[in-house]
Amino acid sequence: MSMKRYDLIIVGAGPSGLSAAIEAARRGLKVVVFDENEKPGGQLFKQIHKFFGSKEHKAKVRGFVIGQQLLQEAAELGVEVVLNATVVGMYMDKEIVVKMGEEVHHFKGDSILIATGAAENMVTFDGWTLPGVIGAGAAQTMMNLHGIKPGSKILMLGSGNVGLVVSYQLLQAGCEVVALVDAAPRVGGYGVHAAKVARCGVPFYLSHTIMKAEGTECVTGVTIAQVDSHFKFIPGTEKHFDVDTICLAVGLSPMSQLLKMAGCEMEDNPRRGGQVPICDEYGETSIKGLFVAGDVSGIEEASSAMIEGRIAGIAAAYYLGYIDKEELDAKYQENQAALAGLRQGMFAPENRGKLVEKTEEGIDVSMNLLEKGFIAEDEIERFPGVTHTKGIHPVIECSQNIPCNPCQDACPKHCIKIGSHITALPAVDENVECVGCGMCVASCSGQAIFLVQEDYEPGYGTVTLPYEFLPLPQKGDKGFGLDRSGKKVCEAEVVQVRTSPAFDHTNLLTIKVPSDMVMKARFYKAE
Amino acid sequence: MTMENIYDRAITLGEYVPEPDDDRIICRCEEITKGEIRRAVHDGMYTITEIRRYLRTGMGLCQGQTCAKLVKSIVARELEVSPAVLEPATSRSPMRPIEMKIFAQEAKEVGDNV
Amino acid sequence: MYNTADVIIVGSGVIGCAAAYYLAKKGVSVIVLDKDDSIGNGGSSRNGGGVRQSGRDPRELPLAMYGVEHMWPTLSEELGIDVEYHKKGNLRLGKTEKHKEILQGLTDRAVACGLDVRMIDGNEVREINPYLSEEVTCASWCATDGHANPLLTTLGYYKNARALGVRFITGEEVVELQKIKGKLKRVVTKKNVYEGEKVIVAAGYESRSIIQSVGIDVPMRAELIEALVTEAEPKMFEQMLGTADADFYGHQTDHGSFVFGGASGLESTAKDNGKMITASITAPCICRGIMKYIPKLADAKIVRTWAGYEDICIDGIPVISEVEEVPGLILACAFTGHGFGISPVVGKLLSQMATGEETMLDIKEFRYDRFHANI
Repeated sequence: MSMKRYDLIIVGAGPSGLSAAIEAARRGLKVVVFDENEKPGGQLFKQIHKFFGSKEHKAKVRGFVIGQQLLQEAAELGVEVVLNATVVGMYMDKEIVVKMGEEVHHFKGDSILIATGAAENMVTFDGWTLPGVIGAGAAQTMMNLHGIKPGSKILMLGSGNVGLVVSYQLLQAGCEVVALVDAAPRVGGYGVHAAKVARCGVPFYLSHTIMKAEGTECVTGVTIAQVDSHFKFIPGTEKHFDVDTICLAVGLSPMSQLLKMAGCEMEDNPRRGGQVPICDEYGETSIKGLFVAGDVSGIEEASSAMIEGRIAGIAAAYYLGYIDKEELDAKYQENQAALAGLRQGMFAPENRGKLVEKTEEGIDVSMNLLEKGFIAEDEIERFPGVTHTKGIHPVIECSQNIPCNPCQDACPKHCIKIGSHITALPAVDENVECVGCGMCVASCSGQAIFLVQEDYEPGYGTVTLPYEFLPLPQKGDKGFGLDRSGKKVCEAEVVQVRTSPAFDHTNLLTIKVPSDMVMKARFYKAE
Repeated sequence: MTMENIYDRAITLGEYVPEPDDDRIICRCEEITKGEIRRAVHDGMYTITEIRRYLRTGMGLCQGQTCAKLVKSIVARELEVSPAVLEPATSRSPMRPIEMKIFAQEAKEVGDNV
Repeated sequence: MYNTADVIIVGSGVIGCAAAYYLAKKGVSVIVLDKDDSIGNGGSSRNGGGVRQSGRDPRELPLAMYGVEHMWPTLSEELGIDVEYHKKGNLRLGKTEKHKEILQGLTDRAVACGLDVRMIDGNEVREINPYLSEEVTCASWCATDGHANPLLTTLGYYKNARALGVRFITGEEVVELQKIKGKLKRVVTKKNVYEGEKVIVAAGYESRSIIQSVGIDVPMRAELIEALVTEAEPKMFEQMLGTADADFYGHQTDHGSFVFGGASGLESTAKDNGKMITASITAPCICRGIMKYIPKLADAKIVRTWAGYEDICIDGIPVISEVEEVPGLILACAFTGHGFGISPVVGKLLSQMATGEETMLDIKEFRYDRFHANI
């Protein structure tokens, strides 16, 4: 049977697939990318938050913008991206069959990259099959791709980055998040993601999990309870919430079925999230010329997926003789270094599940952040980004070593220092005068930077905070200052609202609060 | 620990003890409960493949996307092995259910619509 | 653990499991070895579930008829598990004069053996099964044929044999058989050595390499064929279907899904990756075949396709035989793609052979040494 042949067939137009397509096409390969969805970008187009990382690797750019950039680059390089194209199977001799419209098409690739990503895990409890129990990723798709509110009152299970980020996005979409629950004793995701949810008033219940979803036709409520160290319910700790939706953010599993079908050697690797192909450092599987990149080869995040995709795209170019070994080695080393950079710090793969008690700087981590989702008042002062300079100055509530450094370059006066070690905590140089421009506030993907002025007027100071909610408050509005736990602590008046293309949709809200509240008030709520 | 531990089907698993959540549905597509899966293990179905053939878990429209891990953990617990020991069921085409009339319609000039 | 039993069975397919069950019922100790991780992972879990008499070689027909008469109707009860046996007939469909000739030939031979099978015309076909298209102009109709669930039958035999004390060991690949003092005694696997007074080799095509170690061969080849299953559909019909042209065969299961097998015509040279991968062109071909006969299924969703090896004997019927030159060796292989329907019968026959009883049916047609050169 005759069939169309490509140098490289890529399955999955997400971050890794598109990155691979770009690198391969740039080196002269004829590349096609198939994706079963009606929109390309994989998870990127659901990611409305700013990414972490280094400037070189698209830090502080919002996920969907990264997706647009990748698509544009791929298009300029002549990559065919075919949407609504469902791969039916992968067969002998690197042949794939793709459903398009009312037909199936056969294609062969001299090389193939599988970048199919991951699927959401489920947990079971009484009532878990009721309508209203949904995956957090599904909720994100509903909100951010289709503009549909998943529910009104929502309980989130899972405190990893997905649970935290989606909780925040649910709040942005106007949903009420009644609780964030996790059976683990500590928050699993980035502390800064937790903090921005907590200061909106969402209570965290660690060492808790769902006992049952209530309702007959659909979810009308949920009961959670505390669990002991063996994850058994502790009687008498039950708590009930009226909700219409329960979101599950309990991890992802690689969608590696195509690889298994094709006969790749697989392994069950819990650290990678489940069944993954055994592959070498370039992402090549046990089948020559068949590559993998992104979540399908082990659950990580979009930034590392993009780098893995680049490596695989370059490796495919070498495999097919489009580049020499020298170029492969040079590019591999460059990308590998970037990947290593992303895989360090407190959330590095080797630290998964471990309690890291001290930062790289030797500072005790905030236990309150891990247990309640926010840094306690008696903990905040020990972090190097927190100072009390006279006049306006940044207060950086960044307390965990994560590979991220955009704030360092954001300050035109260079008053924020991270140094060359990307996971170091940002420190504020008190000798450099802050001009209050707010660039640092808007640049922080974790929304952890505030501008504080303790002496705004007698008895009052101001706090400038990142604000990504609608409607945007107006100057002169009066409301309340909420502390890091989301509790109302004082009256607050909006004295300035700044928006700017340079802020990329992060608005800067300056609120006037009593002087003794400048180190407490971290969010604004209208009356 | 490897599959080795469950190759000998004569090993005894002890008595089947009912659990309060045995009637909880695990495979939604085929409506298979936790208790049915546990019982199947006691009937000698030690691999995910056997469970699936015996009960139809993961054979429905979602093709096991939702329940594969759940079934695995139940079987592993019953056999007292780590879930990683259990080989998941084989993946077969089609990766997504496909209407017979579409599967039957192979594009003549392949790649035309691309 | 003991590695000795009265009977060692190599292969945990439906034949091996059935033999183990009937032996265990007689109080015989049995060990079943299988190289695969899962029980019955060969043709037993990959076939279309036909329990047919029509269309069979006259030499095989007595086994099929005995099974339909004496074993299948009570098997669910016997095993305590619903094997989904339905005795609702088999339609072998034809569209052309040539098909009619083929069907007539098959029918004549079966009638001569005493089977109640007859030719019917297109209208009568559609009275029996109104979903069949106008293209169907004739069929052979055997009202006592039917189908069952091969997965549950295999695992049902396994479950009951295990409960009776049969020791099943999977992941145990047999590498050779060994004679001790002129008698077959040892079964050597990659990891262990087992000993038995009788050894039944029921390992499909793999039997060939196993019995080679004692200088025996069966002229067979392996052919990779395919099947598919749809999502559950409302109940439509209960018969087993096949065609004169061999486009497809299959039935609707109790679950509501349709299980169909078929061929692209390229099977005899099919290759795979060691994991019985399907070919890209076969399932579409089967779908086209089905839709011509049952147009209503065009919208049914295919959920899964799979492939499996048939152990095709050079003369089209199995080898079910003691091997006198290797005392203790009993062969049950080369079932040629129609072993499932006769598996209860063969299992029982093997149990009789292994215990030295007289077999309930004459099995001389299935001897291992029946193959001769043309001239």
